[in-house]
Amino acid sequence: MTEPRLLQNFSGGRAIVVTDRASSLDILTTSLDRLGVTTNPADIVESVAAIDLATLQPDRDVIFIDGDISDTAVLPRSAIGRLPPAPVIGLLGVSAPSRLKALMRAGATSFLRKPVHGAAVYPALFVGVNEYRRHRHLEALLEDQDRRRRGRRNLVKAIIRTMSEYGIDDDEAYDLLRRRSMKMRQTMEDMCKDLVRSSDGQEHGEFALKRKLAD
Amino acid sequence: MALQNLRVGYLFSSTGSYELVARSMLNGALLAAEEINASGLGIRLEPSVLNPGGDLSQYSALAAALLKRQIRHVVGCYTSSSRKEVIPLFEKHDALLWYPSHYEGFESSTNVIYTGAAPNQHVLPLVEYLIQHHGHRAFCVGSNYIWAWENNRILRESVTARGGSVLAERYFAVGETDFDQAIEAIIAARPSFVFLTLIGTSAYQFFRDFRVACRARGIDQAREIPVASCSLSEPELEAIGEGAVDGHLSSSVYFCSIQSPANLRFLDAYQARFPKGPTASADAEASYNAVWLLARAAAAARTDDPRAVKAEVVHQYLDAPQGRVWIDEQTYHAYLTPRIGRSNRQARFDLIGEARAPVQPDPYLVHNSSRFEATAVPSLRLVS
Repeated sequence: MTEPRLLQNFSGGRAIVVTDRASSLDILTTSLDRLGVTTNPADIVESVAAIDLATLQPDRDVIFIDGDISDTAVLPRSAIGRLPPAPVIGLLGVSAPSRLKALMRAGATSFLRKPVHGAAVYPALFVGVNEYRRHRHLEALLEDQDRRRRGRRNLVKAIIRTMSEYGIDDDEAYDLLRRRSMKMRQTMEDMCKDLVRSSDGQEHGEFALKRKLAD
Repeated sequence: MALQNLRVGYLFSSTGSYELVARSMLNGALLAAEEINASGLGIRLEPSVLNPGGDLSQYSALAAALLKRQIRHVVGCYTSSSRKEVIPLFEKHDALLWYPSHYEGFESSTNVIYTGAAPNQHVLPLVEYLIQHHGHRAFCVGSNYIWAWENNRILRESVTARGGSVLAERYFAVGETDFDQAIEAIIAARPSFVFLTLIGTSAYQFFRDFRVACRARGIDQAREIPVASCSLSEPELEAIGEGAVDGHLSSSVYFCSIQSPANLRFLDAYQARFPKGPTASADAEASYNAVWLLARAAAAARTDDPRAVKAEVVHQYLDAPQGRVWIDEQTYHAYLTPRIGRSNRQARFDLIGEARAPVQPDPYLVHNSSRFEATAVPSLRLVS
């Protein structure tokens, strides 16, 4: 799985700002505008509960959350990586540990100190968005590893059956299965699962293992 | 009551390794002030000229001294490192720095008006030209600071996106003049072109040594391995000297060879006022434009209050030596006209390319770069 390329141009992006001080956002929205990121008045909300999650696009949207508001609502987080549905950048007024912790829990991958300094917006976007993308990539890797781990049982079964069917040792059986998985363009785990299921007669009845491997 | 006297600081390193360009910038700014004072615009400019001598630590000390004297507008700085050094002071005092030089972009301070070219107005047009006319294999040589690093990144992205390659990037300290090893490496690599981001005396020495080394090997350097730069200007051509002055490519929004009544007037006045030189350059023109834009905006605002002046500057349209110039309301960078020139034996540039109209500045390359960084090597692995 290839590591994601760094995002460096944010044009076409959409900012969603969660704050109760919409009047003090001038520098943030002007700076975002220069970077091609638009902030519509409807996207400045007082609680994360007001964000329309259905329209969120993680590759386009960035959520700025003001750490100084008392918002009881929270963004949904993914199961494995605890990722929010789009990159989150924390707006920091009070930098006390409790506030920082709350923003970290909301999934913030970078921060902007208030009052916002125009020159800090691009670096905050760059780090926040790219860290989010890196986390998402790691999450996908973990998911993949987890799925493979669950599939190891079928791999072991397939190796044992291949050894007995061909009268070969485990290394040769593994090589045979690996070559077939590459030919089929399937992961070893998926291919072995199919193989075990069909040779169990659960899926295609009389499908012999030997005939299948010879395909 | 209308503003009558406008105090302005000029901060140019008229000594030091890049003094030549900085002196031409100071000349441009001085000429503009004299013209404004004689023009009947209604205000009188009072420039205070300070020279940091190319020493980075002097920039903030001298800028602070100007701001302490309640001078709220300063025209100056050439290198990006010097600009970045003084910006915090201008932000602290809510004053305005009028930065009159081309630079690498990725900045938009609320306390700076940028009258030189942004990267989409000089770096990108040069890259386009080089790839179209000279090939895809680049060799980069530059001074070791942000100007060279960032320009090389922009070049690398454009070149790799088109299937080309950057053979090497070599960096040298500002003021370095020993390039023998780099020149040997270039001749051995035989790139389609050399992308040069050396500044000042380093650049002049490189041009001379590279030409000599190529000649010794029977290589027609200008034709076979042209050197291209985004900062090479006329006074620098004169400094390179007769033997190596011709055949270099430069991307700029201004060349002395522009044939227009406004430019001829500018050049006549400049020559009459500064007969000993240095010759006018793109940065001299940007300085001249900066002072004119400042004076017009202050006259319209009827005050030197930086916020009021900034609000007015976006309404000023200047018929500058390069053509019409105005400030973009969103980025406070200037609309300018990109051009490509090739140097000739008279230490001037022959125009070989020109945009049809002024181009909107795009300091963050929001409209002019790929969404992702370029990857030079595809991420592949051996599977059998």
